[in-house]
Amino acid sequence: MIEVRALEKRYSDGNYALRKVSFRLDKRVTAIIGRNGAGKTTLMRILSTQLEQTSGKATIDGYDTLKDADKVRRIVVSIPQEASPIGYLTPMEHLKMYLVARGIPLAEAAKRSVKALKTLEMADAADTPTDMLSGGMKRKVFVAMALASDADMVFLDEPTTGLDPLSRFEVWSAIKELKGRIILTTHYMEEAAELAEDVIMMEAGKIMQRGTVEQLLDKFKGMVRAETNDSRRSHSFSVGNTYIKYIRIGESEKYVKQGYSIKKITLDDLFISRGVAIES
Amino acid sequence: MNLKFIGTFTWYYGFRSIPRGPSYIISSIMYPLVFLFLITIFSAGKFIDYAVVGGFISIIGMNAIYSSSDIAFQRLQLKTQDLFVATSISSTDYMLAMAFSYLATSTPGIAVYAVIGLLLGLFTALNALALVVLLLLVLFGITSISFLVSGMIKHVRNVWGIAGILGVLLTVLPPVFYPYTILPKPLLYVFMISPVTPAAVLAQAAFGLGPFAPYAIAVLLVEIVVYTAIAKYTNHWREK
Repeated sequence: MIEVRALEKRYSDGNYALRKVSFRLDKRVTAIIGRNGAGKTTLMRILSTQLEQTSGKATIDGYDTLKDADKVRRIVVSIPQEASPIGYLTPMEHLKMYLVARGIPLAEAAKRSVKALKTLEMADAADTPTDMLSGGMKRKVFVAMALASDADMVFLDEPTTGLDPLSRFEVWSAIKELKGRIILTTHYMEEAAELAEDVIMMEAGKIMQRGTVEQLLDKFKGMVRAETNDSRRSHSFSVGNTYIKYIRIGESEKYVKQGYSIKKITLDDLFISRGVAIES
Repeated sequence: MNLKFIGTFTWYYGFRSIPRGPSYIISSIMYPLVFLFLITIFSAGKFIDYAVVGGFISIIGMNAIYSSSDIAFQRLQLKTQDLFVATSISSTDYMLAMAFSYLATSTPGIAVYAVIGLLLGLFTALNALALVVLLLLVLFGITSISFLVSGMIKHVRNVWGIAGILGVLLTVLPPVFYPYTILPKPLLYVFMISPVTPAAVLAQAAFGLGPFAPYAIAVLLVEIVVYTAIAKYTNHWREK
């Protein structure tokens, strides 16, 4: 279980990346969603012992991430945001190097690497230098590291950012093969819906909302999104020059006549509404 | 210390890069060979021994200083360092793994110089042993400086430029390819900031190319300890 109490991260320039964040995670797959700069990566880096917090406490299975970092590191695997493999090394070499770094003997590391690459259908690419692999395959190398490590807890920071839809689907399939608990950050709403049982939404270093995808979308029940580019029209939110209002489904026709286009509610609407209660 | 990691990393990151990226190896040999050629031509062969002995030190020093660009690139761009922070290895393991990887990539250059040295009849058992020890000390000293510098680099754009500047300052300007005795003393002392300088002074003495300067041993050892300690305690392994 992950327990975070009043966690705060303040950088030397005075900016806060996290502001008194507290939560407890006990689900198998948790997604932390939020826009760029929301504090997701900072939170992940603190939990996986890569970064020290300014104040507050975080524990993983009872181990303090500051005081018991060595024990935490035995439990967790952390795949950093936008991590790239070393171009001239092969997936097999990456896996073996990483597993040995986790204290696994080389012979055992080789066995596990073969198995993980096979599970993720990467056996054919096992000995190909990674700079010859597609973007999706490169990311799968890191998922394979996590899989082969057999870690209890895996942190995946934006595992599919920048990938095309097919590659993203490939990586999702790979993530589903992981056995341990997974905490992933993403700003792809459909990724959170596809993979996570528990979703935490962050904004400006704070937790804005939390729940299952259904619970988070509950406030939009019976509603649709009405969009227009005309700023003079009634609206509750704006994104660039798109002006948005949440309306009852039954009101759709009326709004279409006024020049709005009507869209179905998706998890993107959580971002748009930024945790604000919706009033029809 | 995770010796298995250091060995595995060195094997894959160091030795495997030799056949897969030969241009890197060739470029690291080019500088010393060009200096050897120019010095031999301009000194009419008089300083060829200096250039050969200095070539060993230069190859190791240059490869080690260029590791700063790789270390920074791995930290900033590939995020390899972050990946390893959350494992059982320490920053010292990572530093040593990097240092030995660059020793591995230096081996083709060392082999070329060894052949030239043998052809010129430069080696005795004693001076060869002294050279090996000095090369290892240069490797550790310069790699520590590389870690120190790489931790200060904030943008990938600066990575290669800074390594290029340091390469010249720390491994070309010091008396590596010429007799240290021709340098004015104050300038020699300034160059002593690079571990390459005391190593070159001692190597020249070991090969009978210059007087023995015992203080250079102390300078070199102190520098290794100080640079390694600074690199260890100021690097960005687990960020604050």
